[in-house]
Amino acid sequence: MGYSKVNECVIATDLYYSVADNTWARVNEDGTVYIGMTDIAQSLAGPILHAKAKPVGKVRKKGRPIATVESGKWVGPIKTPLSGEIVETNKALEEDVQLLNKSPYNKGWVVKLQPSDLENELKEMVTGDEAVEQYKEKIERDGIQACAHIEGTEDYE
Amino acid sequence: MQQALDLRQNKYSEVSQEEKDRLFQECKDDERWHHILYGCYECGICVAACPSAKFYDFSPRLIAQSVAREDTDAIYTLMNDSVWDCSQCFSCDRCPRGNSPGQIITVMREVAVKNGLQTAKQALEGYGRIIYKIMSTGSQVSPDMLQPNAFPDWGHHVNEIADNLEVWRRALPPETLHTTETGWKVSEKTIIELYLIWHMTGVMDLIQGIDDGLHMILVDVMEERLEEAGYDIEFD
Repeated sequence: MGYSKVNECVIATDLYYSVADNTWARVNEDGTVYIGMTDIAQSLAGPILHAKAKPVGKVRKKGRPIATVESGKWVGPIKTPLSGEIVETNKALEEDVQLLNKSPYNKGWVVKLQPSDLENELKEMVTGDEAVEQYKEKIERDGIQACAHIEGTEDYE
Repeated sequence: MQQALDLRQNKYSEVSQEEKDRLFQECKDDERWHHILYGCYECGICVAACPSAKFYDFSPRLIAQSVAREDTDAIYTLMNDSVWDCSQCFSCDRCPRGNSPGQIITVMREVAVKNGLQTAKQALEGYGRIIYKIMSTGSQVSPDMLQPNAFPDWGHHVNEIADNLEVWRRALPPETLHTTETGWKVSEKTIIELYLIWHMTGVMDLIQGIDDGLHMILVDVMEERLEEAGYDIEFD
């Protein structure tokens, strides 16, 4: 997996992003997708205290919440960038919810989705260099500070 | 650092006079308004009694005098930069003229929230978790919010409490307190009533104007639970 850094914020270049909602999607070979929050999202939220994913079997439209995340200073939704049915939630987060902070693109995935309109909806997301470029603009436009990483964060080199 | 409050400078000169007048009119249209503002002797009792005035650049007298003078430039500045410094303790209710700067501020805050002023959004940002907890569960701060990394000032024994939270809670005599995710057990009937009240009174619309993400997750929880209870209600 390749990584790029903008203002200390890591962007995994093989993932698809919804830049506005700070979420990513990884398409698996079996047609399912993993959904998670970005490094910028975890940094803005701060150390996460609770994360509650919607249950398996829940069907969600694009833009609706698939999980609620609470940190010391913030509570908000993780909005799914793709429509579909939740087929799995990340059990590892029950043991260590701060995997969302420490490994947002790998161990900290939030739900696995069976997408219902992948081909069309994926076109509205960005990946690779385009994602890096859009995040550069967003970071500048919104005045986002350099991303902070808690102890135990995975190595992105 | 917060800038000093200086009403001699018209800080929000870019905001139109019509908009400032409209917001003040909304304050005056509130039915409480004429029971909380009479006149001012300039005695300073409200300021002397005010705990916020001791710590912030804040004065309940300035609020009462500005609204009595109907100085809409000053009122707009106060509505943005001052009303959130009040602790709403109503110590200022000892005014010999019967003014209540605290209640004037309540009305001004409500107008600021209803109109989605940016400063109101900023002032309320830190309260999202508490609002979410109260409005989704019907109970206030919950025991499981007691996490070591959120309360380092409690010292090392906070770890022991957090690790054995269920045991500590079971040690409390009332069974309704044997909870960790909520402050106490909230009955199904109570929570459904609360959701319906918030829906019918427009509270959810207020929240949407201030924090869209918070509104989204609250509505999600409420719609699901109301549906289970046999109500077909759409919040959006």
